[in-house]
Amino acid sequence: MNQQSTLSLKERLKKDDQAFLETGCLFGLEHLEQKEQDPGTYEALWHILSNLCNTGWATGCKVSSSPIASEGGDALWALHLPTGEAVCVSRGITAHPGLLADMIKGFINLGYEEHPGFHQGDIFENNDPHYGGIHGPDFDMAMPIFYGDELVAWASAVSHVSDCGAVVPGSIGFMNPDCFSDGLCVSMEKVGEDDRFYPWYEMRVRSRTRTPDWVMGDARGRVAGCITIRERLMEVIDKYGLDVFRSVTREFVEDSRRYAVGRVRTQTVPGRIRKSQFKDLAMKGKRVLLNKQNIDCLFNLPMELEVRADASVHISLRGASGTVPFGQNISPTALKSGLLNGYSHIVGFDMFNSGPTAAWEIEKPPNGSWANPFERDFTASSGVAWAPAVMWMSSLYEVFGRLYQTRGFVEEMAAGAGTTMTAEFSGISQNGVYVAGSTLEQASNGSPARGFADGENSAWCIYTPNADFGNAEITELFYPVLYLGRNIEPDSSGYGRFRGGLGHTAVWMVHGTSGIDYQCGCAGMRSKIVANHGMYGAYPAWPDRPSYAHDTDVQQRIDKQLPLVHERGDPEAPDISAIEARDLQEAAIAPFVTPEPLQNHDLIVHPISGAQSMGDPIDRDPEAVCEDLERGWTRPHIAEEIHGVITQENAEGALEVDQQASQEKRAQIRDARTSRAIPFQDWWRDERKRVLERENMDPAVLEMWRSSMTLTPDYGDELRAFWRLPDDFEF
Amino acid sequence: MAEFLKADIEKLMDGVLPWPSVQDMLKSPKDLDRFDKYVEIQQSRVAWDEKILLPLTPALFIVASDGERIVKCRCGHEFGDYRINWKLFSLIHVRDDAKSIAEIYRGREAPDAGWTQVREYICPGCGSQLEVEAVPRGCPPDFEFLPDLDTFYREWLGRPLPDEGEFVDKTLDVITTWDE
Ligand SMILES: [Zn+2]
Repeated sequence: MNQQSTLSLKERLKKDDQAFLETGCLFGLEHLEQKEQDPGTYEALWHILSNLCNTGWATGCKVSSSPIASEGGDALWALHLPTGEAVCVSRGITAHPGLLADMIKGFINLGYEEHPGFHQGDIFENNDPHYGGIHGPDFDMAMPIFYGDELVAWASAVSHVSDCGAVVPGSIGFMNPDCFSDGLCVSMEKVGEDDRFYPWYEMRVRSRTRTPDWVMGDARGRVAGCITIRERLMEVIDKYGLDVFRSVTREFVEDSRRYAVGRVRTQTVPGRIRKSQFKDLAMKGKRVLLNKQNIDCLFNLPMELEVRADASVHISLRGASGTVPFGQNISPTALKSGLLNGYSHIVGFDMFNSGPTAAWEIEKPPNGSWANPFERDFTASSGVAWAPAVMWMSSLYEVFGRLYQTRGFVEEMAAGAGTTMTAEFSGISQNGVYVAGSTLEQASNGSPARGFADGENSAWCIYTPNADFGNAEITELFYPVLYLGRNIEPDSSGYGRFRGGLGHTAVWMVHGTSGIDYQCGCAGMRSKIVANHGMYGAYPAWPDRPSYAHDTDVQQRIDKQLPLVHERGDPEAPDISAIEARDLQEAAIAPFVTPEPLQNHDLIVHPISGAQSMGDPIDRDPEAVCEDLERGWTRPHIAEEIHGVITQENAEGALEVDQQASQEKRAQIRDARTSRAIPFQDWWRDERKRVLERENMDPAVLEMWRSSMTLTPDYGDELRAFWRLPDDFEF
Repeated sequence: MAEFLKADIEKLMDGVLPWPSVQDMLKSPKDLDRFDKYVEIQQSRVAWDEKILLPLTPALFIVASDGERIVKCRCGHEFGDYRINWKLFSLIHVRDDAKSIAEIYRGREAPDAGWTQVREYICPGCGSQLEVEAVPRGCPPDFEFLPDLDTFYREWLGRPLPDEGEFVDKTLDVITTWDE
């Protein structure tokens, strides 16, 4: 169909669904005619339209005000079909194209085409998780684009604003007890026309957010990017013709679906993959808002993936644990969009758009779980809904890594991802104005280990391909802190034949303020446990443990020119332990908000995780271990005890591998393993008793099993069957 | 379609293929004979003769052995029917207290033993650490991959295997025979 349709958009959506059911191809496109007839134009237009989105991103970020968008580029612009499907997207937060597509479909299905109607210059927006939004700070926007009198496309945008007026300042609302504390709500609304926001939109932002100038600046940035896309698109359609534009954009989406299916068919193996995954949220005894939050939580984040004979992929979360009284519950719509982000990294990245969502199917997550909260608990909070979702999604990297290995595509293998522990500040800045918002440190983890090499250090982020932790000097302009250090953190990626890329640690000194809260936030991290990412025998990366020192002797140390703190230091004697302080937390369990505002000369040591490793650590090339030692990227006891590599200094003072001693050490490690390990069946027999006795199982663990086994009864049955527990056994 | 030399695929597996060549592999349309070449390489690197049907992990293979399909380590140790989680036939060492965890994760790096246990699955034949799990007590071991071997060979590769069998998880059938 490359003629103007006489159907309403709602009718077209219905017709497209039917065509997909009948043909298995999106829009019933069994042939990609434009691609077949004129592949050159097809390819050219793909790049032109993609660049158009990136131009929108560049313009939009420049117009935006918050450091998140303007310095970090943590936003996204996209171009959509009239019926909502994303065609191509900019760089930036790639978790959103799925959401934005569903939001536009939502406007259509709600009948907005008839009333209030779609017109050039209209601005529509949503950030409400009850209607598919991911969390309050992510404002998803769309503007219809008309060519003549025909709605030919939508431009969309999202930015992660620095504060959306949630109960706790900032943008990582992990502490929100319920949806009423999630902040300012825009619920599938028309918020402007003629390229301008309505005055009452701005009045609401000014009335209900803590940093209205930044929030409105970001809103104008979103519009500026969308207008940029619209204006450039007019030129493109003028040049190539509307018929060609209508055809190629639909073909791009179907082409992308085919690519995702094709990759599964030619590079994986059918079967069933299972990956358990867990995430803690330990809040007992900390500063919380409501009594019901004085608890420790453990999330069950299971992934079961079936690759079927027709290369379709079925994904299930059977066994997911229940909702939590914190901002860490996510709607199925947002979860699906998040998954598209992971999929774009590892399966369908050739043409990133809505296409791959038609190549897989997510089973509806257990009703009442963190991944499907609202039917049972409409008041559940999604303050930082991304947190459990991103930890769950990390399994997708390992799962596909394993699949690619079985077909020999070693170059496509990846281990699990790093975590997302955020640092936010709120209080009076060095310029005397109130600030609240996030730093950008977490936007640059190490990248996962690959099948042929280590990951890259501090150069990757699961939620944005635009992994950029921003300039230290710019962060110092926005927030009342000075950087004392920003260093690669040794051993921060677990231990394996190939290690994950290392993370880094920021060390801040509070400076020029009358007091700020440091919110060490969970946007997807672990502090009590390690990830279940021991892929092929690697050890997972250690937990996220920040440090801070409040009410310190740092001023005196500066006066006396004594050493300050520039890095984390030894795990058993961290550098910060040398500081005199009234409140010194050497290895705090995250997340938390500091109990008292931090004062000038207080210190914060904030680590950003590396990614996960793969393979038996004693299979690591001894030269690579030696190189890591030379660079300070690993420590001697890890080199020796975990990797079995013995080094010595040569005549020039450089380290070199003692091959003979290393071989012997590795043989000893193998012998020690086989002599201390026991047959699985023997362990099962004893462990079964400990399970029955609930021995050394934290209440958070027991509560997790209870909810998992209740919400998915057959998951509970399987767990009981594995341990041969009585049919009525409950934890 | 691209085609790559077996020698280059071996270098890739060993982590010594130069980066420009790796990029070439990443960017080119995939080679259709990769699976066969990969299996040939793996077969040439082991000292035993059973035919590899599928590389399960870099150390474990599903092989054809006297009409059975079993999991076998690169060292030759055999783990039984591939439809049973091979972990049931491995050695295991579990770190579930602070002391044993501290051997791997020191000081501020240590996870909480009340929340998680670190399970090391060891090959009885060669002492390779085949998988590590970090899960709370009560979690059954992950059966990471149960391939649908017959569908793969019949429908995806177009060369069905002899003695087609049922695609079913048989792990619990074994557990029911164990003494408590
Ligand atoms: Zn072995």
